[in-house]
Amino acid sequence: MIWTTAIALLGLMALSIPVGIVLFLLGIGVGEFYSAFPLLRGMGQVIWSSSASSTLIAIPLFVLLGEILVRGGVAERTYAALDRWLSWLPGGLVHANIATATMFSATSGSSVATAATVATVAMPQAERLNYDPRLFSGAIAAGGTLGILIPPSINLIVYGFLTETSIPRLFSAGLIPGLLMALAFIAVTAAICWWRPKLGGPSRGFSWNERARSLIQLVPIIILFTVVIGSIYAGWATPTESAAIGVAIAALIAITLGDGLGPRAMSEALHGTIRISAMIMLVVAGASFLNFAMTSAGLGRQLSAMIEGSGLSPFGTLLLVIALYLVLGFFIETLSLMVATIPIVVPIMAGLGYDKVWFGVLMIVLIEMALITPPVGLNLFVVQGARKSGSMNDVIMGVIPYVLVMLCMIAALVALPGLALWLPSIL
Amino acid sequence: MIDLILGALRRANRAIALLLGVALVLTVLCILSDVILRKLGSGSLGGSDEISGYVMAAVASWGLACALIERAHVRIDVIRLRLARPAQMAMDLFAMIVTNGVVLLIAWHCWPVLGKTLERGSRANTALETPLWIPQGIWFAGWLWFALTATLLSLVGIALLRAARADEFDTTLGIGSEVPE
Repeated sequence: MIWTTAIALLGLMALSIPVGIVLFLLGIGVGEFYSAFPLLRGMGQVIWSSSASSTLIAIPLFVLLGEILVRGGVAERTYAALDRWLSWLPGGLVHANIATATMFSATSGSSVATAATVATVAMPQAERLNYDPRLFSGAIAAGGTLGILIPPSINLIVYGFLTETSIPRLFSAGLIPGLLMALAFIAVTAAICWWRPKLGGPSRGFSWNERARSLIQLVPIIILFTVVIGSIYAGWATPTESAAIGVAIAALIAITLGDGLGPRAMSEALHGTIRISAMIMLVVAGASFLNFAMTSAGLGRQLSAMIEGSGLSPFGTLLLVIALYLVLGFFIETLSLMVATIPIVVPIMAGLGYDKVWFGVLMIVLIEMALITPPVGLNLFVVQGARKSGSMNDVIMGVIPYVLVMLCMIAALVALPGLALWLPSIL
Repeated sequence: MIDLILGALRRANRAIALLLGVALVLTVLCILSDVILRKLGSGSLGGSDEISGYVMAAVASWGLACALIERAHVRIDVIRLRLARPAQMAMDLFAMIVTNGVVLLIAWHCWPVLGKTLERGSRANTALETPLWIPQGIWFAGWLWFALTATLLSLVGIALLRAARADEFDTTLGIGSEVPE
């Protein structure tokens, strides 16, 4: 059943049928061929209980938060402010690209929207200041991926929901690896530009006076992040409640420090939110049904038989799973890759004794890589789309150093699970 | 005729998306007041948890059609990209018709959830004792609307192909651009 399902999954997706629909089809197929009783009768109930969820509503709320910041013109101002603070480093503006993408993806959950916004704001500067287009655009694409690891992350919410893992624990587990990766991105950029100064633009100094004035743009975003994450960790708000608080603060920031939120900006933000959330929810509903079908058809028994029969050690299996994600990540887009594989892979890993919180973080890093590895890397398309000139190969070359950082992060997580598990253990 | 249907579907789904968005904003206010009242120690209105679940169910059913008509549902185009245009169009139509069939089947199997609730007059097992037919009715209607939109889009797709209007076929059933406009 596992192999047939996995192959059918890839085959149907390759036919370019929408991923959510493919997951439903597979669930129906498993019910018809492998289950002793008709599972279709349970379908309505599964869909209702998977969508009427006060946990999942955190998803549209975090999307809305990000949309408000982007449509309210907060992104441009943050970029300018970060430029003041980081452009003295070798590599100049490239650091502002990474930092802006990190900050935005940390407050919203949408890495694609982040990459798109930063790219639109940053690209004209690259030409004006004569940056190497490869490293410059690669940094935007890579920085944008951090959003799904640094909390609040929509992907971690979906993971927690589908695997019944605590979302606050997942959020705290993602924080240290996420920040480490952002720092590593900056360090790698600085090292490359120190070694090959031609790749970066001019290092520019700004006076402390200018920096201090730019703080007014940065502090509110930092407060927003602190309140959203802090309220969850302090235990006085659920992720959903903290998302609602975040939406309110984001609206305040956009009105007082951004371009304001007129009816037009607001309706664009709401419309975008519903479109993105519905796209996510079809995939989540499909995965919930597939989960239900595979469990009812005796997945547990099959899995333990397969693991016993394979002769692979737990560590060998882990390496195999990592390799699988690296390969699939070339072809399948992030959320789909994650949601489609959770029903099969997570029970295997949990059965082998791996911690589900730790594996969630590892999976997110693997999936971040899928965002920037060709031929199907959503962020590559987004950045290329905003460039409007040059070839896609520039962006692909540009992300290579950052992909290497991600590979190191994966190795570090495997060698030192404490990177992810230490923070949840003390909170 | 084709344009009339397509235009009406687009406008209706846009309006629905806005309505859902407003519901989302109201939910935010509801959750916020709940949190604030709780912090002030004056007890809470309660129920914001339950209501937000119902709003989510509405977003997750009524929003689907909107995402469909704006080509936002994720499709993997590794193979499609490498094909000639007629083959791409065949794939688009095939994907649309499969989607249509599955959605009709889902809508069909969603009915018993509402049907049983109506039969038994079930209420939520919470302080609000919400009569469940209200949120489930809204949710089920959303799936019906998704099924209707999918069916009309399949027909529009076939009609556009027969009229040899390839560009419009692409903007209706093709794979949407990843860059937000």
